[in-house]
Amino acid sequence: MNPSSIPALETAESLPFDLMRVPGLGHLFRWRYARPLLQAPLLVLSIIMILHGLFGPTLAPKNLATTLSWLHFRGVLVLVLLCAGNFFCLACPFMLVRQAARRFFKPRFNWPRALRNKWISVGLFVLILFTYELFDLWSSPWWTAWLIVAYFLSVLVVDGFFKHASFCKFVCPIGQFNFVASTLSPFEVKVREQDVCTRCHTKDCIRGRREPVSDLVTIRGCELALFQPSKVGNMDCTFCLDCVHACPHDNIGISSRLPANELMVDPIRSGIGYFSRRKDLAALAIVFTFGALLNAFGMVSPSYAVETWLGRTLHVNHEAPVLGVIFTFFLIVEPVLLLGLAAWLTRTWASSKRDLLPLAVRYTYGLVPMGFGMWLAHYCFHFLTGLYTVIPVTQNAIASLGRPLLGEPRWSLTGLPANVVQVIEIGFLMLGLAGSLVVIYGLAEDDAPDRPLRAFLPWAVVCLVLWCASMWLMFQPMEMRATMMSG
Amino acid sequence: MAGCSRPVESSDPVTVEHEISPLPARVGVATITFRLADAAGKPVTGARIAVEADMSHAGMSPVFAEAKEEQPGRYQTHLKFQMAGDWIVFLHVTLPGGKKLERQIEVSGVRPK
Repeated sequence: MNPSSIPALETAESLPFDLMRVPGLGHLFRWRYARPLLQAPLLVLSIIMILHGLFGPTLAPKNLATTLSWLHFRGVLVLVLLCAGNFFCLACPFMLVRQAARRFFKPRFNWPRALRNKWISVGLFVLILFTYELFDLWSSPWWTAWLIVAYFLSVLVVDGFFKHASFCKFVCPIGQFNFVASTLSPFEVKVREQDVCTRCHTKDCIRGRREPVSDLVTIRGCELALFQPSKVGNMDCTFCLDCVHACPHDNIGISSRLPANELMVDPIRSGIGYFSRRKDLAALAIVFTFGALLNAFGMVSPSYAVETWLGRTLHVNHEAPVLGVIFTFFLIVEPVLLLGLAAWLTRTWASSKRDLLPLAVRYTYGLVPMGFGMWLAHYCFHFLTGLYTVIPVTQNAIASLGRPLLGEPRWSLTGLPANVVQVIEIGFLMLGLAGSLVVIYGLAEDDAPDRPLRAFLPWAVVCLVLWCASMWLMFQPMEMRATMMSG
Repeated sequence: MAGCSRPVESSDPVTVEHEISPLPARVGVATITFRLADAAGKPVTGARIAVEADMSHAGMSPVFAEAKEEQPGRYQTHLKFQMAGDWIVFLHVTLPGGKKLERQIEVSGVRPK
C-alpha cells in the first residue's frame, strides 16, 4: 500500500484543520526561534528540579524534582499527546543544551548502521521501568535529580559524537514513548499539497536550506531522516518544525487527522520502512503496552504479596532478581503466549497467508491504543489526585530560601477526589479498548478480506484480557512502598 | 510497634519512645503514643508535640495533628493514614523550657483496609 492509498481526510470538501493557519500560533511556529522559546522555560524548570532534588528536602512529597517529574510532567505529557501531538519533543530541554554544545563540538560520526533500529531504546525503556521499581525513584528526589542529569549527559555524549538527531531517533526512551503514543494523536506534521512537493527540486525539508554558492546549510532539514512527501504518521517525528522552517514553499502544516489511522495501514514510510517488517518497532509497541500494565502493577497491594512469595520461593532477599522474574513474565512470557496464540488462531481460522511472526508483528500495533489507555489512566490518576500539590511544594521551596514570597505552604491543597478520577480512568481504558478494537478490525479487513471477523476475534480477546487486567489493577488499593521485600 | 525515634537534628538526652496501634498499621485512624523521658529516665511533662505524617511519594498532602499529654510524660495522638504504603511521621517537640526537638518515625508498609 502506498501513501496515496491511505484513507485520506483531506478531500476538497473537508480540508484538515491546520494549526499553522491559526493566527498567532502559526506565526509563532513559523518563527525560527520558536523551538528555543518553548525549550527555555523547560530548561529552567529542569535546572530547578535538579537543584531542589539534590539540595532540597529529602522527602518526595516536599520536593519539586519528584513532584514535577512523577506527577505533573507525566500527566501533562500523556494528555498533550492525547489531545494534540508530540509537543513535548518540540519543547525538549535536552535538545536546547545539545544545540548549544554543538556550537563548540561538531559531531563527526554517523550513527552505526547496525544500530539504526529501536533495540537500544527498547532496552533503555525497560531499564527505566526496572530502575523505577528497584530504586523507588518516585520516593527519591536525589535519584530523580540524577536521572535528569544523566539524561542531559547522555544527550551530550551521544549527539556530541554522532551527527543528526541520533539520540532522539535511536536512544531516547522518553522519545520512543512519545513516538508510539503520538500515533494516537489528532495532529501530524505533514505536507499540505503533494503536488507542490512533486514540483519541488531542492528538497529542503530533508536536505536543509543551503547558501546558493557555498552550499552551507542555513536552515537544517529533518534530522530524523523523515522526507516529508513520503512521511506517514507521527512515528519518529519530534515536531521540531525544522521541515516547516526549511520548506521554501510553506507547504508543511500541523494538520488534524484521524488518531490511530496510521496503525491500520502499512505503507512504506520515510525513515522507517514498513511497520510490518520492523520487529524492533513491534517490540517497542509490546513494551509500551505490556509495560503500562507492569508499571501500574508496581503500585498496587497485590504486587507486594507477589514479590514476597517470589522472594520466599526463590530464596532471595534482594529485590532485583524478584523484579527480574516479574519483568520477564510481563514483558516476555505474557506477550509471547498471548500474541503467539492469537497469531496462530488468526492464521488457522482466517487462513492468513502470512507466517506466524510477521502476523504477530503486524497485529501488535493494534494493542497500542489499549496500552496508551492504561498509561493515561495511571499517569492521570497521579496527576489529577495530586494536581495542586505543586503549589505548597513551590511555596515551601521559596520559603526555604528565606523569603516566603508566595506565602506559607498550603499543605492542605491536593487535587481531585480519587472517586472522580477513577471515573476518568475508566473512560481512558474504555477509549483505549475501543481504539484497539477498531485498529485490529482494520488490520483484519486488510489481512483477511474474506474472513475479517475470524482474523479479528483472537486479537479482540487479547484486548479484552488486557482491558480486564487493567480494570482490575485500577480497582486495587494503591500502595506505594519503598520497602518491597520487607514483607 | 514500639521503638525509639530517630533524632533529626540534635543529640538531646531526651528520648522519645513510640507505639502504634493497630499493629500492623492499616489505612484509617491509628493511635500513636509517645513517651518522653530525660537522661535519668524521668518522664518529661508539659511538652508540646506537633505531629506531621507524610507519605514517601509525591502527590499526597501531609496529615497534621497535636499530641495530648494523657499521663505524665505519655502523649497520644490520632492520625489518619489515607493510603497504604510507607509513611514518615515527624514530631516537632517543644519542651517546657522552650527548647525544640525534631524526631522522625518511619511507619513502613501501612496495609490496605
